[in-house]
Amino acid sequence: MQPKVAVLYGFGINCDHETKAVFDLVGAEAERVHVNHLVNGTRDLSEFHIMAVPGGFSFGDHLGSGRLLGNRMRFALRDMLSAFVKAGKPIIGICNGFQVLVKTGLLPGPEAADPDFIQRASLTLNNSGKYEDRWVTLDFNPNSNCIWTKGLERIDCPVRHGEGKFVMPNSTDLDRLAANGQIVTKYVDPETEEGEGFQDELLPFPISPNGSARNIAGICDSTGLVFGLMPHPEAIYAKWLHPDHTRFTAPDAPDCAPDPEERLLGDWEGEGLQIFRNAVEYVKSNL
Amino acid sequence: MMQVSRIEVTPRLMEGMKDVRGDVIRRQMAQDLSIEVTDVRSIVGYLVNSDVNQDDIYARVDDIFCDPIIEKGYGGNLALNDEQLFNESPDLTISIAFKAGVTDNPGSAALDGFFTIFPQASKESKVATYITYAFYGIPETCDTNNLAKSLHNSLIQRAIIGTKEQCLAKEYPEIEFIQKPPTEYKSPARVDLEISDEELIKLSEEGLLALNLEEMQTIQAHYRNPEVRSAREALGLPPDAPTDVELECLAQTWSEHCKHKIFAAKISHKDLETGEESVIDSLFKTHIMKPTLDMQKEVDWLLSVFHDNSGVIAWDDEHSICMKAETHNSPSALDPYGGAMTGIVGVNRDILGTGLGARPIANTDVFCFGPPDYQGDLPENLFHPSRVLRGVHAGVRTGGNESGIPTVNGAIVFDDRFIGKPLVYCGTVGLMPQNLPDGRPSHVKTPKAGDIVFMVGGRVGADGIHGATFSSLELTEESPSSAVQIGDPITQKKLLDMTLEARDMGLISCITDNGAGGLSSSIGEMAEYTNGCEIDLAKVPLKQEGLSSWEILVSESQERMTLATTPEDAEAFEALAALHEVEVSRVAIFTDDGRFHVKYGEESVAMLPIEFLHDGVPQLQLSSVWAKPTPVAFNPPNKADHNQILLDLLARPNIASKESWVRQYDHEVIAQTAVKPFVGPERDGPADAALIAPIHGSTRGVVISNGIVPRYSDIDAGAMVEASVDEAVRNAVCVGIDVDKMAGLDNFCWPDPIQSEKTPDGEFKLAQLVRANRQLEEVCRAYRLPCVSGKDSMKNDYGKGADKISIPPTMLFSLFGDHPDVRFTATSDLKREGERLYLFGLSEQELGASEVAYLLTEQGSANGIGGNVPRLTNPEYRLEGYRALSKSIQDGLIRTAHDLSEGGLGVAMAEMCIGGKRGARIDLDGTGIEGTDLWGQLWGESLGRILIGVEAQHEAEVVDRLEDYGLTLMGLVTSNSQLVIEDGFDEIVNIDITDLEKAWKGTLNLDGGEI
Repeated sequence: MQPKVAVLYGFGINCDHETKAVFDLVGAEAERVHVNHLVNGTRDLSEFHIMAVPGGFSFGDHLGSGRLLGNRMRFALRDMLSAFVKAGKPIIGICNGFQVLVKTGLLPGPEAADPDFIQRASLTLNNSGKYEDRWVTLDFNPNSNCIWTKGLERIDCPVRHGEGKFVMPNSTDLDRLAANGQIVTKYVDPETEEGEGFQDELLPFPISPNGSARNIAGICDSTGLVFGLMPHPEAIYAKWLHPDHTRFTAPDAPDCAPDPEERLLGDWEGEGLQIFRNAVEYVKSNL
Repeated sequence: MMQVSRIEVTPRLMEGMKDVRGDVIRRQMAQDLSIEVTDVRSIVGYLVNSDVNQDDIYARVDDIFCDPIIEKGYGGNLALNDEQLFNESPDLTISIAFKAGVTDNPGSAALDGFFTIFPQASKESKVATYITYAFYGIPETCDTNNLAKSLHNSLIQRAIIGTKEQCLAKEYPEIEFIQKPPTEYKSPARVDLEISDEELIKLSEEGLLALNLEEMQTIQAHYRNPEVRSAREALGLPPDAPTDVELECLAQTWSEHCKHKIFAAKISHKDLETGEESVIDSLFKTHIMKPTLDMQKEVDWLLSVFHDNSGVIAWDDEHSICMKAETHNSPSALDPYGGAMTGIVGVNRDILGTGLGARPIANTDVFCFGPPDYQGDLPENLFHPSRVLRGVHAGVRTGGNESGIPTVNGAIVFDDRFIGKPLVYCGTVGLMPQNLPDGRPSHVKTPKAGDIVFMVGGRVGADGIHGATFSSLELTEESPSSAVQIGDPITQKKLLDMTLEARDMGLISCITDNGAGGLSSSIGEMAEYTNGCEIDLAKVPLKQEGLSSWEILVSESQERMTLATTPEDAEAFEALAALHEVEVSRVAIFTDDGRFHVKYGEESVAMLPIEFLHDGVPQLQLSSVWAKPTPVAFNPPNKADHNQILLDLLARPNIASKESWVRQYDHEVIAQTAVKPFVGPERDGPADAALIAPIHGSTRGVVISNGIVPRYSDIDAGAMVEASVDEAVRNAVCVGIDVDKMAGLDNFCWPDPIQSEKTPDGEFKLAQLVRANRQLEEVCRAYRLPCVSGKDSMKNDYGKGADKISIPPTMLFSLFGDHPDVRFTATSDLKREGERLYLFGLSEQELGASEVAYLLTEQGSANGIGGNVPRLTNPEYRLEGYRALSKSIQDGLIRTAHDLSEGGLGVAMAEMCIGGKRGARIDLDGTGIEGTDLWGQLWGESLGRILIGVEAQHEAEVVDRLEDYGLTLMGLVTSNSQLVIEDGFDEIVNIDITDLEKAWKGTLNLDGGEI
């Protein structure tokens, strides 16, 4: 079975092409689906196994990033989304998509499995007050039940946002997230040993690019199926996108080119691609 | 009944949260105005004018306007009255809102959110936004009016101040909702042209038509033609005089901006240096078009040059790429933010309007400003350069980032004279399939008579009237605010998504951008294909009722494309637009009767023969006289501290790191950018060119680079052009471009070169343009580098008479081309200890107009900047060398390369150390041709030079390939953190990298403190 992925677009979403591409590269059949196709009923999420809300600037981030698209989804797609989550299908939100999922209330979501569309956290302006594109290092929580990040320890990828500071009203809210294994990934100091970078104490700028509570970069819901993060793992689908790629001891022979027919990246696969492969494999084994 | 509801929102100040918006203002005040305050708080306000009951709106504040987790919202109350969040009264409040009729993007977004919750609300509902800053700890000496002035632009915004007394009494002034009063539609007026020559000129000047006497007389003569008269009579138009619609339409179409009259002029050229006297019949046709058309005969990849919105070249087997660069100088001078934003989103539309539609995939931004630390007096009506920098940068950042187009390459150049007119160059690269699913080649438009013409996207308003003619005039204190507008990237993004889908569905027969000149230009240009059109202005949707016909026709309101479909496809196109929530209107049909015919409902309001409209403008007759400028020669001091010179050069704005600005652009959306603007382990070394792999899963690349050196025009504008082209090529070679498949764009920005009372040195400035064009042809032919698109902006002056400021003649050369495999490329950062450092190319004694000459002259240790400016000798041979070097990079033999430009070898070497976090020890001995001294070798800016790093195992092969092109082993990458430069036995420079870095990064970081 080839899992089908709905990659949402429209209204200022702008990472839809590459998000579709990374799912295709790991064997899924991804399709860009306009939000209004779902709203007006010409398409239904039930046709798909995975939903991705890509990065971008939906509605120009006015009134707070992700809020207006989150609202449209919360009011117009409530039943469809609810059914999708209840069916145990994975959802990912990247950057603006993460902001959208947080503002619809799908992330971090209630402790019970069924979504209630109540917003519990937010993503707000970076402490710097600036939108920035810079590369960060992420570690992944081995104790999380997030299906998207199984087996991942550390990756480098870019953040590209002005509103990525994750906040919750009280530190007990954060404690609860941590206890549930919902804190999936954090910004870490690249000087630390792989897997040992996780810390609660705030890291300085620019290691943590935004001042996020407990250096949180991404979280999942209580089921581990809905995952959102500010950094862009799709932006490192191939090693040639890494800013250091001219510094690696790259294979010097040009015969390691990705096979154009199979579109496999071979030795040049980037470390972000595994996240998308995990979800596709999950669907293949579980749905 | 419509009523206004007030909503305010302010950040909650819980643990770990701060009011970031306020804090940004606090730091900016410290940086730009030297005003230190203890705290600034921010409140965002919404004024909703709708028929929904106020209480119902206030009950939903948390669902629409306020994020309840991080913000507190207030319906009908001022946030400042909340004593919990504002327990002390501030010392001052300043509230800022847009003026009526100015684009309010947050307001439109809020309205969209409002309709999500209240779908039944009146469609006439509007939301206006404002922001209130509350200041604490304002120093007694602070001039609050000045502070307010620095926080808003009175051309488009209004501000009100709450004084200390008002704050103490809690009587905060409230900004009110205002709407533009409706204007009344006026029937087209007949404009009598049977008047004296003086009156014709007066008519042109007062109406902002920017037409000269001969052009006015040509129009006058047209209406005396009996055939014209009888045709007009039959349509019910005034037979013997134009309507205001026609006159405005001609003024736009014939403007310098649209017709490039100076580049098309017949020029009598005199060279006082050589005694040459010659006549040039169009600089453009002679020196730009002819060489490219000659090259087009020899290659198969030049698909579309000059006639479309951008130049198109074939790229991989299935795709073509195209590129266009534009300037938006005058609007950016008046409103840096809005002007620059419309610049970037405007050039994006040029790409979308190329062929049957291309997808914008990369932006470039090149700015020229006054120095950010300028201390001198500013002429009336001009902003301080730091404010221009902030505004332009924010506009381009917003436009590019929100459109999802990465900004991959650019430059910022500083010179005092750019205070008079900043230059804002925005470029965009596009990608298109070579053939559409229906088999049509995508770079060819296929309109037919009978096709339906749609206006697509935004509505038409009073904003942006006279942009084309205004930019054809010098900036003065009276420059109109209607020429300024603010872009709306999200509306445009929807338009872009929809248009590209329409293209792939085969629905588009013709498409172009609505830019300068509005519908009159866009439909007018497309009507040339079928030889006619009929427009109905009553069908054009308006932002506000009552616009007159001429205003609708020429308004340059943003986010609009003009697009045609066959009658059969029109409905499918409308359905697609509805899905994307993009407004489309059938405003015209193509005809083949030779007429540009405009109606308002049933009434004819304009009829111009297509031929007269497009080809009727008389050729300008100009004269140019070249006398070589002789600035005082640069003679370096006998004794100098080269360590200090290096640090001072690194700190010069032209050289200093632009990272704090560039990092705010998204440079890697689309997941394609293989060489990003900053490189190295800490991503802080400068990249030379951008390299992208736009097809996901494929390693085929596109290289994008730029060259710009206005300084050299102080000696010779011809040398300026040579250096710009060579710089763009050098940069591209540094990442391994295929030198046999690259194309260029020439964007000229000149001061007014027409001799007149207000421009007494016009003949000289025109001679500079002649030399620039001649050199452009020479270099491009030698490099086999076709110019496929370009633009000129010819009135970059401020004011008249004694206080006139003219920019230095400037040409930006943008380059794009093919790269076989992005995995095999090079970056400027030093990679490994032991890497061998070679200079490719030789230095000459060329210090004229160099950065070091300006530096030492400004410091008083030299008397002038004159002397030998870098020239390109034997370019054919250089091209061979570039080919060999590029090939070595493509073959994986070289992974470190950096171009030598401003500040020469010394600066380039320092940048490579900073990027690589590694020291180096090099020797200058043997790097120059005979007669080149230490200054020429270390600081000279001779063209054609690139510093490369080679691993030991590839050294022999690289030397073998490149030794014929001037290759000198200079030294090694070391294990320590010192840059050591020797000249034989003498140590000239020895500095630690951290010191280099500090000097290089400090100047342009205007954050105003720790963040």
